[in-house]
Amino acid sequence: MLSLKIENLAVTFPGLAAPVLEIDHLEIAAGSHVALTGGSGSGKSTLINIVAGLERIRTGRVFWGEQNLADLSEGKRDQWRAQNIGLVMQDFHLFPGLSALDNILLPARLSRVANAELLKRARTLFETVGLKRPEQHIETMSRGEMQRVAIARALLRKPGVIIADEPTASLDLESGEAVGDLLLSVAADAGSTLIVASHDQRLVERLGRRLSLKSGRIIGDVPVGEIAA
Amino acid sequence: MIRFILADLRRLWLGGAVVILLVALATALGVAVTLQERSLRLGSARAADKFDLVVGAAGSETQLILSSIFLQPAPLPLVDGSVLTKLAADPRVSWAAPVGFGDSFGGYPIVGTTTSLINGTTTGFSAGKMFALEGEAVLGAAVDLSIGAEIKPMHGTAETGGHTHAGAAYKVVGKLQPTGTPWDRAILVPIQAVWHVHNLGHEHGEEEHHDEDGHDHAHEGEEGHGDTHADDAMEPTAQPAAQVATQRQEQKYAFALGAASSKHVEEEHHGAIDADAPIVETFGSFTPGLPAILVKPKTIADAYRLRQEYRSGSTLGVFPGEVLTSLYATLGDAKMVLSAVAAGSQGLVAAALVLVTVIHVGQRRRQIGALRAFGAPRSSVFLIVWLELFLLVALGVGIGFLIGLGAAHIGAQMFTAKSGVILPVGFTREDARLALILLGFAGILAAVPALLAYRQSPAQALRA
Repeated sequence: MLSLKIENLAVTFPGLAAPVLEIDHLEIAAGSHVALTGGSGSGKSTLINIVAGLERIRTGRVFWGEQNLADLSEGKRDQWRAQNIGLVMQDFHLFPGLSALDNILLPARLSRVANAELLKRARTLFETVGLKRPEQHIETMSRGEMQRVAIARALLRKPGVIIADEPTASLDLESGEAVGDLLLSVAADAGSTLIVASHDQRLVERLGRRLSLKSGRIIGDVPVGEIAA
Repeated sequence: MIRFILADLRRLWLGGAVVILLVALATALGVAVTLQERSLRLGSARAADKFDLVVGAAGSETQLILSSIFLQPAPLPLVDGSVLTKLAADPRVSWAAPVGFGDSFGGYPIVGTTTSLINGTTTGFSAGKMFALEGEAVLGAAVDLSIGAEIKPMHGTAETGGHTHAGAAYKVVGKLQPTGTPWDRAILVPIQAVWHVHNLGHEHGEEEHHDEDGHDHAHEGEEGHGDTHADDAMEPTAQPAAQVATQRQEQKYAFALGAASSKHVEEEHHGAIDADAPIVETFGSFTPGLPAILVKPKTIADAYRLRQEYRSGSTLGVFPGEVLTSLYATLGDAKMVLSAVAAGSQGLVAAALVLVTVIHVGQRRRQIGALRAFGAPRSSVFLIVWLELFLLVALGVGIGFLIGLGAAHIGAQMFTAKSGVILPVGFTREDARLALILLGFAGILAAVPALLAYRQSPAQALRA
């Protein structure tokens, strides 16, 4: 439900002469579903980190709606991300020793925003992503199930944007497909803007727009025939 | 958050346990050293408390105190018996009592003394009564014998190859209340009995002496048989040799232990007590040489005056406190060395902890990054990392204090069993300060990795 606008963005790392990412202008409409593709070193992960507010922006501006991420301090950016971005990562980053439900609620609890309503929503989401035992400990789950828990966690605070970094790369074909389905449907249901970085052609083809990166630049921006939601 | 920390600790329980153990042992070492030293100081001071002034023959002050108050067997030069007579008659003295030692029974020292000393230094009897006859004995609270038991004094101690006095036996008539001093382990008998056993200070006639001598020679022979009984049965021909060996041995140890009188070593010591004779506690000119006289002056001024008076020539007046003070100085030096060792070990543990935390944080960078990526505020992440480490160290410090306390208690009990001195082991405000310092240090130490967690951007942390 947030739109993205990037202007004159350049990301450099110390010791590297050329910027790892350089985008003069990019706009993503609110509610659209965008795939990011490109080989390793293409700047794909950097772009994900930048738009998710995980990395500090030194040059350029990145607007989500009205908010320029470059203006936010580290702490404020964390706070903003907690409220607006649902993150799904390749290796889940779930915390062993906690139950599935506790994992879903952990970020909210650590931000001290967990309340009865959110707890109820966590249980509902747990069913939405197709899981049955909320008290099951995370380390006893299959990888496909883990990614479902991660998706439920990303959705907990009704984020305007869902960002997924290679969400299916560590899953087998079948669970990968299921997780792809799930991502698309929850994003469509919530009307969230969805950005997915992926190598997975089957997933990429199902998204409305494909951005290709190479050596830190956008080399392709094509609409794909999405079965629009 | 607590649940997350607990889950995390459960996952890393082995490493956590090692950290706790390390901290606990290092803390325990320091705590035990401190507690033990303090209790030794307090305990010995309390033990010496009851005795105001000790008068002995000129010689080592320390040895005089160790022998007379802490009942450590060692040869002491003897002070002339007339000193006791003089002290007893001194108007500044409320009571003066001789102590005679050198004999033991079942590992307990037998101390010859007077009723006035027992009355003056104890709180009374837990059972039975005071000795009234020469053949009666009173037990210290820690002596594991019962009233009515028969005590055959052994010259020296069994461990050092002493032998039993022939023809001498005491009957236990009373048991004292505990005093917390080495005297709790003593068997107290009338001083006159000790003299008689060692054939000293006879007020009886010369003829009687002769008679006793003969009587005792017979006993000596019997005793030799008893001592070598085992050898005897197995190898009868070895008997004379064994007897000679026993004889030599006893002379040697008699010297080593000859506290009662060094003189009687050279003599054939074999006297007998007259069990039914009433005790006499007025000491006339027949009073034999004494290893020490315990004096209770009437006032503090008297105490100082008496000490001064008996510090010249052949006598030595000592306040137990002054000797203890110099002993404490030595103890303090020993404590300093031990404390340095303890501090060194604590330093090592601190270094180990820093290492552990640095590795720990390296391993947790991703976790920390993920927590932040998913929206946990930095303060929460900081608190988690800090609390986790701090909990481990605090637990270690707590356990270390308990172990240290336990170790000090065990040490104190062992010491009490051996010496009778009750060592009061306990924490004081000083220890609370040590605990606070340790915890403060732990808090700062734990903040280091927590700060590292604070400074990384989540993207950096996730890349790790």
